[in-house]
Amino acid sequence: MLAHQMAMESPMIQAEMVEATEFPELANRHGVSGVPQTTINDGKAHVVGAVPEPNLLAEIQRVLAG
Amino acid sequence: MAQLLNNDITQQIREVFDGLKNPVHLMFFGRVDNCDYCDDTRQLVEEVAEISDLLSIEIYDLDADADLAEKYNVDKAPGLVIAAKEGEQITDFGVRLAGIPSGHEFTSLIQDIVLVSNRDSGLNPQTREFLKGLDKPILLQVHVTPT
Repeated sequence: MLAHQMAMESPMIQAEMVEATEFPELANRHGVSGVPQTTINDGKAHVVGAVPEPNLLAEIQRVLAG
Repeated sequence: MAQLLNNDITQQIREVFDGLKNPVHLMFFGRVDNCDYCDDTRQLVEEVAEISDLLSIEIYDLDADADLAEKYNVDKAPGLVIAAKEGEQITDFGVRLAGIPSGHEFTSLIQDIVLVSNRDSGLNPQTREFLKGLDKPILLQVHVTPT
């Protein structure tokens, strides 16, 4: 999983695969309608679908830029 | 309980794990109440761990082992940490799973074990360079459903 690969690269990153039907409150809080959905920093950004590496990286950069 | 992984699957996984480079340590966090999938997930990851000598596993309880759960940022059960191990030293790369890894996610579990065993992200140089420079925490939570 791409998120896990990113976690390998930095101690600043934690990447968690969350099974949405077992944790519906979290899925609701993150507004999950389609999976997979990658939510960054508990809702600062959301990426829907299995996107390529540069796309997820760009979202992380956007979040960090505030 | 009957074996969850059949012989075919076990053999396929064994062939993948034959290529494992370095030891991997699995830390499973369950809870006694309000966890419908804890027993099955625990059995599943134990069976996976048995397939290779390079894999070790410890079973914990989210409540009884709350300090450890907090240390590893695990707050959901069933929860799994996939960490590197060198001798007695465990290195956490922040790789987590929450919920039962069934269907397509089972393949992800196997791939994640290989990933941590490789000790390498496999990402592009530009991505690596950016991520290595990170000085603020990033939490990535990937919502999935079993297929």
